[in-house]
This record gives sequence, C-alpha cells and structure tokens, in this order.
Amino acid sequence: MQLEEITDGSPVSGVSRRDFIKFCSAVAATLGMPGMGDQIAEAVVTQKRPPVLWLSAQECTGCTESLLRTSHPSLEKLILELISLEYHETLLAGSGKQAEEWRQKSMKENKGKYILVVDGSIPVKDNGIYCKIGGKTALALLEEMSTQAAAVIAIGSCASWGGLPSADPNPTGATAVHEIFKSKGIKTPCVNIPGCPPNPYNFLSTVLYFLTFKKLPELDEQARPKFAYGRLIHENCERRPHFDAGRFALQFGDDGHRKGYCLYKLGCKGPETFANCPTQLFNDVGSGAWPVGTGHPCFGCTEKGVGFTKPLHSPASPKYFTPPSILPRVDEKRGHGLTIAGVAVAAGIAGAALGASAVTSKKLGKEDEEQGKSGSREK
Amino acid sequence: MAKRITIDPITRIEGHLRIDCEIEGGKVTNAWSSGQMWRGIETILKGRDPRDAWIFTQRFCGV
Repeated sequence: MQLEEITDGSPVSGVSRRDFIKFCSAVAATLGMPGMGDQIAEAVVTQKRPPVLWLSAQECTGCTESLLRTSHPSLEKLILELISLEYHETLLAGSGKQAEEWRQKSMKENKGKYILVVDGSIPVKDNGIYCKIGGKTALALLEEMSTQAAAVIAIGSCASWGGLPSADPNPTGATAVHEIFKSKGIKTPCVNIPGCPPNPYNFLSTVLYFLTFKKLPELDEQARPKFAYGRLIHENCERRPHFDAGRFALQFGDDGHRKGYCLYKLGCKGPETFANCPTQLFNDVGSGAWPVGTGHPCFGCTEKGVGFTKPLHSPASPKYFTPPSILPRVDEKRGHGLTIAGVAVAAGIAGAALGASAVTSKKLGKEDEEQGKSGSREK
Repeated sequence: MAKRITIDPITRIEGHLRIDCEIEGGKVTNAWSSGQMWRGIETILKGRDPRDAWIFTQRFCGV
C-alpha cells in the first residue's frame, strides 16, 4: 500500500493514503460491513462531492457541534471536502440576502441531486411562526427544500422525533421532519439519525453509504439506520454484568456508584433505548466516553416517548428480558425441580432486579417435571 | 428619510438572529435585534421534577 499523501486534486487531496483507507475501513465497520472499505474509498475519490444543504429549525446547534468535534486524522478535512456543504447557517460566510441568494442558486443548480440535512424540529403551531429564517417559516423552507432533494437526513432527536421542543406541553407544535412529510404528502426518502447530540459517525456513515450504494441503508420502523440503532444500549453496555448480578448504584456517589455498578435504579433508560453509544462512543478519546461510562444514567435521547418524556430518575421499562447470568446448576438432577437452595440463590441475587431469574427457575422446574412424566410413560 | 436595512439570517452564530437597522446620513440611527426562533423551554419546565431541569436548560444552546 502506498503511504504518500494524495495530491491528485481529488476530494481527499492532502490526506495521507493510509489515513484515508483507515477512515473508510472504520466507516465500513460502523456500518457493519467489514471489507467494504475499498468500495467506499473508490466511491469517495471517483465521484463528484455530493452537494449538501443544511436547514436549521428549532435546534441548539449541538448536532453541528457534534459533527465538528470528529477528530479522526483529517476527518474535519474529509467532512468539508468529502461533501460540498452548500448552505449551513452557522458555517456560511455570507449573511442576510447573500445567504438566501446562495441557497436559491445552489438548489437550482443541484435540483434533485442534493442531500438535505435538517436539524431541529419544525414548529407548526400558529402557521409555523416560531422559527423563521430570512422571513420564511421553517415549515415553508422544509417544504420548498425537501421536495427538490434526492434524500433527506433528519439529524438529532428534534428533527427525528420532535426532541426537547416537542416535550409536553409542546408550546410551539414542534414536529419531526418525517411527520411533516406524512401530513404534506412529501415522498422524498428520509432517514432519522436521532441522539442529543447524535454520534457524528452514524451520520457520516449514512452519507457515505448513500454515496457508495446510491440508496439509504436498511432502516427500522422509525426510519433509523439499523447498523446504528438495531440494538438496545442495554445489550452492549459495559455495566451489563452488574445488572445481571443484581449489583446497582442506589445513589450518586454511593459505594456501588463508585465501583461502577449498574445505573438501572438511578433511572438508566438503556433497557428501552436503541442506539450504539456503548460501542461507538464519543469524542474519540477511548473507552468510557459515553453517558453511562461517565457514571450517569442514559436518558433515552434516541427514543421517542423516553427522552425528554419520562422523568430522568424513574426506572426504565425494559423492552425485553434476556436470560440472567445465574442459572441453575448444569448437573441439576432431572425430575426433581430445583434444589431449594438453588432457587433461593438465583431468585435472591439476579431476581432482585426484575424477578427474571425466579421466572426462569420456575419454567425449568416445569420442563423437568414434564420430561419426568414422559420418561415414566416410556417405562 | 431614513433607510432601513434587514440582515436575516445572521450567519456564523448559533440560533436564528435578525438585525434591523435604520440608517440616516450614513449613520445608524436606530437598530433592533431579534431571535427568530422560540421553543418555550420555560413553559416546558413547569410541573416537572426539578432534578430533570438541567437536561432541558442546558439545551438552550449546544455550542
């Protein structure tokens, strides 16, 4: 492999070849498509940079900040040179009329080809007056810009499902982008990258997937890419063994909290929130760089009906149960159910959390009984 | 007669800012600045567990 800097004037000019291939392979890994790094790399260098227009509605700019914090070698360079960022209120040099003229010009030149990124929810109450840019409501701008786009990416929880502004009593009628599409009959494909803020690599990987394969990645029923939102936080949490063993932090700063025990009883929403935070992490600083890793419960920002909706310290409603780590002895005698001591230990430790173990023990006892019955029939 | 100039959006800042100026004889004689976006976070906070407040208020601005 050549290690020299790429200087051919391509979108990745000025980046070392090694860093570039490493980056593309990392994107492929995020997408759950190992081995596709080369194909992604080829798509990036051979194609014209896809024009991206960014519409900000009811947002706090946290999503943009998150994106700007990506720190893989030369990644900010890649972001700015990989895509052609045509319009972004926070990053645009020109203001006022200049900004508006550029938006119009870019939309006209790239009609049907550009990717529209939306951050922030769209207020619909009182004809959308709670968010205006250049005298136009965000609602009108979304309609105008999305109907001419190739695809729409709703970045952040606000654009994906309503987020903070939509929290009860939703004073401005804050609405998610895909819900506006439904009510207005807009058919442009839309993908949601929720998170408050979202992980920038989930966004970037989605853009690169679109660039490479000319379609959106596989989505779940809430239009979130499955590669990033396919599993519960609870499934990949590094504190999961503590949950299974019934070891919980009960107060901030208590002995369990200091020892890194499970945060379920402090209100962690990991058991009902789908996201790749525990595996993807944030800010490229190594292990533990995500909310639960730092000792705070997950508050469910990627999940409609959880983040900004359920009280922070109320316990989560786990989506589904998985077998606890403590099961009856493997050499338990059949036909006699479980030993009293075995049930007591299993129920007392793992069952302290959810009673899951006790249920499992009962089921096992029943199965054993049935097996015993069939065994006697054979005789 | 004063001339009125409106600059909206103001870019390279967080949020949706609009500036209106009145100019007379080459000098700004009057000016208004206004935020063009409102979420009603104060209204949202009412009646919630006080321990939840930070999760909302810290999102006034993500910069």
